Amino acid sequence: MDVSGVLEAHKQKFKSVSVEGKVIPLEYDLGLLTAYDQNPIDETELKKNKDEYLQSLSRDNAQLLFNEIFQLPTISDDNGVMAMLPVPTTLLPREKPLPKPKPETRWEKFAKAKGIVNRKKERMVFDDNTGEYKPRWGYKGINDDGSKDWIIEVPSGANPMEDQYEARREAKKERVEKNDKRRQRNMEEAAVASKMDQKTVNKGERPNMDNARAMKRKEIENQILISKNSTASAGKFDQAIKGDLKPKGIKRKFEPNVTADLSKEKAGNMSILDRVVGKNGEDLVNVRKAIKATKSRK
Amino acid sequence: MLRTITPRNARVKRVLKNREAKTEENIKTAIFIRGSQTSQIVNDALADLYMLKKPHAVNFTKKNQIHPFEDHSNLQFFSQKNDASLFVIGTHSKKRPNTLTFARMFDHQLLDMMEVSIEKGTPMKDFKTPKSAIGMKPCFMFNGDMWDQNPHYIMFKSMILDFYHGQTVDKVALAGLEYVISVTSGPMTSEGKPGKIYLRTYTIVLKRSGVKLPRIELVEMGPSMDMTFGRMTEAKPDVWKQSLRVPKELKPKKKKNITKDVMGDTVGRIHMGRQDFDKIQTRKMKGLKKRTASTEEEGESGDKKQRVDDSDDEE
Repeated sequence: MDVSGVLEAHKQKFKSVSVEGKVIPLEYDLGLLTAYDQNPIDETELKKNKDEYLQSLSRDNAQLLFNEIFQLPTISDDNGVMAMLPVPTTLLPREKPLPKPKPETRWEKFAKAKGIVNRKKERMVFDDNTGEYKPRWGYKGINDDGSKDWIIEVPSGANPMEDQYEARREAKKERVEKNDKRRQRNMEEAAVASKMDQKTVNKGERPNMDNARAMKRKEIENQILISKNSTASAGKFDQAIKGDLKPKGIKRKFEPNVTADLSKEKAGNMSILDRVVGKNGEDLVNVRKAIKATKSRK
Repeated sequence: MLRTITPRNARVKRVLKNREAKTEENIKTAIFIRGSQTSQIVNDALADLYMLKKPHAVNFTKKNQIHPFEDHSNLQFFSQKNDASLFVIGTHSKKRPNTLTFARMFDHQLLDMMEVSIEKGTPMKDFKTPKSAIGMKPCFMFNGDMWDQNPHYIMFKSMILDFYHGQTVDKVALAGLEYVISVTSGPMTSEGKPGKIYLRTYTIVLKRSGVKLPRIELVEMGPSMDMTFGRMTEAKPDVWKQSLRVPKELKPKKKKNITKDVMGDTVGRIHMGRQDFDKIQTRKMKGLKKRTASTEEEGESGDKKQRVDDSDDEE
């Protein structure tokens, strides 16, 4: 049975899916579903019947583009048959710069060192007391501070006259405050670390936190010393506080008023003059930079 | 200029988090603005482009005193307030009739912008044909040999792709490719200036063919615009370079140590560390054990003794 004739007749019924006449083959960027046709446009056709020519040209190119798309590997999904697209080759600009990596918090560092992995837990937990499912945290959760219990037993060591509800509320407040303080501390340390370790931040990695805490502590200590000195009598007559910071390394040395060596005196005075007026008649202030700085600040 | 918002509830916090810089970005939102004077053609064009860009589009219905090529500070404010990085500004004046200005922002600062004048435009409502659904991903076609050569064309191609490509996905539903935007470049003018460009939008109809691949037919859906290029502001090279940076996570990963040999078989390479062959744990073979001189003598005498007792056990 020769069915080729039947097949041919069947094929003739439908229009062809191949496109002839493309001297330069089309370039495709399938990641963006785009086709680039470099073939020159037929100007006479364009002038004669513009819209029909454009439509036929577009139809041919769309046919070729779809032929390419349908040749991509496909997977079957809930949404039907999906074609797997390659990565786009045409570079399009982003709308925002790359995100700067946030430095590690204290907990993250500890968890990494210990090898603690964060496992996702279910939101609803079975509560044995009531026999129903309750959220692990949040509104009507089993984790509640317990101030909503209708009865609270006085713990063995506590004063029987104490208000236990009050005690529970105070305890929760304290916990929240502690958490807040820790969050603040993390944020400050992160800021110091980012500022200090600009190199790795610009590369796109997390900054090194090791010196950040020491730096932060040093910064705070410096500020305390400055504030101590900022009183009317430069901190001389302040009441001594127990456990206060003593400024380190500040020793005052006094040169004798009248020296035999006058050259030293001259050198000292000239260096003071240089710092005030400027060396060799140069300006200490770079006027150009100063103008730029004030302009940008405005 | 804008006050920095400190979130006081979770919803605001979520919105702010969505707006900050991410490795994989959101779909760019576009703002469609009318200038102080507009014409019917410009209004129709803006309305159509807005429809194609929905739902990631904001339409400013009131007229604004906005001249992007003279002063683009307004754009920065709009961009920050609406978290939008694409703009289309429609204006009409005697000097520049029926003008659309496409602008892009990077980090809420102007990246680049270009102006096109519409010579002839047919809006969507004039085509009495079925339209595609809102929010579908289009296919694109750029016909003509100018699209890689002239800076006007390069920027326009980049703009159109940026506006309408939607989200960069790694898979697409074959049934969901509903329309195609086709841009054709006309011949250069006699003075050597860029010629007209023809933008057409068609819905795709898949027809049966004798083979597996379908036959494509196009039905014009609109908008259809014939445009000429106007002024253009290109991006500063360092800002442009920064905007094209791809984060490490999204770079295509190279597969290392896997090659295909001449026969077409996949060959892998494993790199072993240094091995101390004396210390490898292997199977014990008593005969291969190292013997010192004293033990050899004893062994021999022992063997002799054994030889006397049972000769079969030797060796």
